[in-house]
Amino acid sequence: MASSVNISKAGVINAPDDAGSMDQLTHAVLDDLLYNIVHDLLIKVHREEKIARAATAAIRVEKLASDASDSSTPDARPDVKVETDAAVYDEGKVMLKGNPLVTTQDIVCPRCHLPRLLYPTDGKGARKPDPSIIYCKKRPYIDKPGYDIYGQTWVAQGPGRGKKKKDMEKKIDPNTPADSPTPASEGGILGGGAASRPPNMLSFPSATCSKCKRCILVTRLNNHMGSCIGNSGRNASRAAAQKISNGNSNGNGDGTPPSSQKGTPLPGSRAASPKKRDGDDMDEDDGTDNDAPKKKKLKPMVASINVNKKLVVKPKVGAGTKRDKKNDDDDGPTVEVAPKKKITKVPSPAKKLKLGVKPLMSSPLAKSNGKATVASGHAGDDAGSESSGTLSSPPAA
Amino acid sequence: MAARPATPASPKNVKVNSPVPGTPLFGCGQSCIPHPASRIPHPASMGHTVVYPPTDSCVEHVQLLLSTNQETTNSSIQYYKMLLRVIFDKDPIIAQTSKTLEGLITTSLTANFLCLQCSAILSEEERLKHGAKKNHRFYVDSRSGSLFCQFCEDFVWDPTLEDLRIRKMGTGSFSSRKRKHEDMFSDSVKDGMKEEQRYIIANTTAASCRADGLRGIYNAGATCYQNVVLQSFLHNPLLRNFYLGDGHQSGDCQVSHCLSCAMDDMFQDFYALENTNGYTAANILSGFWISEKKAFENLVTTKEQDAHEFFQFLAEELHERNGDGKKPETGSEHSCNCIVHQTFYGKLQNQTTCQSCGGVTNAVESFLDLSLGLENLARKKGKKEPKGEPSLMLQDCLDEEYIKSDKCEYRCRNCSSSQLARRDHSIKLLPNVLSIQLKRFEFKQGSRDRAASKIRTKVQFPMQLNMLPYTTRGQSDNGRGSQELNRSCVYDLLSVVEHVGEIDTAATKYNN
Repeated sequence: MASSVNISKAGVINAPDDAGSMDQLTHAVLDDLLYNIVHDLLIKVHREEKIARAATAAIRVEKLASDASDSSTPDARPDVKVETDAAVYDEGKVMLKGNPLVTTQDIVCPRCHLPRLLYPTDGKGARKPDPSIIYCKKRPYIDKPGYDIYGQTWVAQGPGRGKKKKDMEKKIDPNTPADSPTPASEGGILGGGAASRPPNMLSFPSATCSKCKRCILVTRLNNHMGSCIGNSGRNASRAAAQKISNGNSNGNGDGTPPSSQKGTPLPGSRAASPKKRDGDDMDEDDGTDNDAPKKKKLKPMVASINVNKKLVVKPKVGAGTKRDKKNDDDDGPTVEVAPKKKITKVPSPAKKLKLGVKPLMSSPLAKSNGKATVASGHAGDDAGSESSGTLSSPPAA
Repeated sequence: MAARPATPASPKNVKVNSPVPGTPLFGCGQSCIPHPASRIPHPASMGHTVVYPPTDSCVEHVQLLLSTNQETTNSSIQYYKMLLRVIFDKDPIIAQTSKTLEGLITTSLTANFLCLQCSAILSEEERLKHGAKKNHRFYVDSRSGSLFCQFCEDFVWDPTLEDLRIRKMGTGSFSSRKRKHEDMFSDSVKDGMKEEQRYIIANTTAASCRADGLRGIYNAGATCYQNVVLQSFLHNPLLRNFYLGDGHQSGDCQVSHCLSCAMDDMFQDFYALENTNGYTAANILSGFWISEKKAFENLVTTKEQDAHEFFQFLAEELHERNGDGKKPETGSEHSCNCIVHQTFYGKLQNQTTCQSCGGVTNAVESFLDLSLGLENLARKKGKKEPKGEPSLMLQDCLDEEYIKSDKCEYRCRNCSSSQLARRDHSIKLLPNVLSIQLKRFEFKQGSRDRAASKIRTKVQFPMQLNMLPYTTRGQSDNGRGSQELNRSCVYDLLSVVEHVGEIDTAATKYNN
């Protein structure tokens, strides 16, 4: 017994000399299991590495052979005998010479036949690559806190965005705490905009909405499509709330107002709404944007909203119950009224979003003119004079 | 040893795999350099350097073993196959037990070496002595089946033998369906294949080596639940091969805002472009918004949703675009040959046994995923271990659902009255990709109103899951013995979609 117990292989977990035989056995078993785990890991890496090197040796000698034969047909096997330090090419067959782990020091990509970069260029275990060599594009992944496997980094949108920010970072790299690079680069983003961004910094792209063909910032895309394609957003949630609260009672047409100025029927729902918009609008502002382009966007928005209002209602008709249909029909007149006061009224949903949020945002941009917007924003929310308020606010910002 | 069966006589000559460009023909070749020069510590010795007695200058390696004459090749490969059978099919204790030259029998936890040239099973130390005494040079690792060459002092990965090993490990048998296909295309057809290959090379551009499918997807505003499902679709090998093999060509599709086209585009972007930044799933999103699936209408909002529901939505949508056009009905035995059915759909069997007359009714239905309840188990576990957080194994949940039977009332046809019956659930047909959903949300009946709450019991899931015990065949007696069946029921963990946080927040996904 004692003799077999003593030959545990790894020799890492050793029982004290005075331990009982059960103790010794337990230690030996644990030690052997540890050995097996390490052995399995090693043999996996060994297999990958040795096969890659053997393939490298084969690719090299095949290249030499095809160069030597200089035949024009690409896949005819040249019947020459070529030899390198690592392999022999003989009539289409490649034989290894010795252990490829010894004879071959680097790895050539089996697809593009360029040498593989063996060390990451950044982060843990990084080495400087030889600038004179063109490497295969498959590179070792980078292990650096705050950066993803390709060495790209990410900055959350603006400070103090709590949950959202955390989520963004998680999405890029779930394994790293990702605190370190954020504060410094954040300042740069807000101050200098895109110009001060390091090259490996990712930013939000824009995508084209398949319906209205406008470019929408990706973070806004879902919300946009909700209002552009689907019948979601303010009106849909109201319609849903209405449906729930009304139960089966029919026929109150003004319950689900499609236009915003008539909306917010219940004080309760209104109290909740700025909060929700707050969340929505966080995505909208990407920090580098100032308000001037937004103002320009207003006009097309007006048009599209008007068009959509009618279109949006229709799918709902098909989707909903008969009761919905009736409701929508009742709403019809209000929708059609809207175009008359086109400029004053319809922009308000889009506008109001911005105004409602500005004061809540803690970003420096908003702060600079926060007071003015607060005033006009609230006016817009409460009183009927919202249209003038909203129009004046973007220039102020 | 007696435990080893005699080599079966095989009239067929075993072939060494035909040469492939870019791969050497054998795992190790001749080395005319005296080998002590090429000493590197091999993994098994963990850095101990072992000194060998110097041998002849030109040494035999796998190349010699497999190329001297057909007879040696045949016997070596047959014997290697037999050793693999011993290692993977038999009780591991056989290969792990060795006998020293002095006659001391030891069973070890760590790997032994099975001599490829005789029937000896040796420990690492004994292997050296055996090699010196008998001039046997090749050994098989008793835990992994890898071939060890004593001349190289290293494990060698011979293409022919390694192919056998991988196949045995993966499927439990040496034959592969692909092999038949290869044989069909031998000689005469091969030229045609070459022609075809040249055509492919001339008319396509190879994707960059950088494009390996690892990219993020931008959150388009609370679309995390979509992104996780899209990511697990993207890394699903069956779906990937379908789309990259032009299974659904977005160029030829007439359907506007087709979700399958959007998937096709996305696969192209992930596996053909060099971009490493995030992907904007705009087409998926708009296809999703435009889709008129009534069953999932409540999904279409700008709020966070359930990833599982989106998975069902996407699967059904893709089935409709690629399949027979019939709407999949839950509970029916609907099956079609579309990629989604081939990938995700399996069949469940519900067997109802009447307690009074013993009559058996079978009902078969197809399923997209298995839903496992946690509620009861978590409560039971919590009672048993009041201290600390209770944790469950995934197998516990499966046991509960597919091994234990439950009782129910049902109307028996024989007795023509309502009777107590026993219900057994089992899986009749396992899907290629099995998705399991843990029902973590329950409605708690509160004093005032019903509120959804999350069951936070930890469930541990293995990297490999054997589903045989839960299948109809596995529960009957004749299914139990077969190694091949057993191995065909083993699933590797592909992806995990996890819900993090409170009931209405984000989801995270890990890829293996």
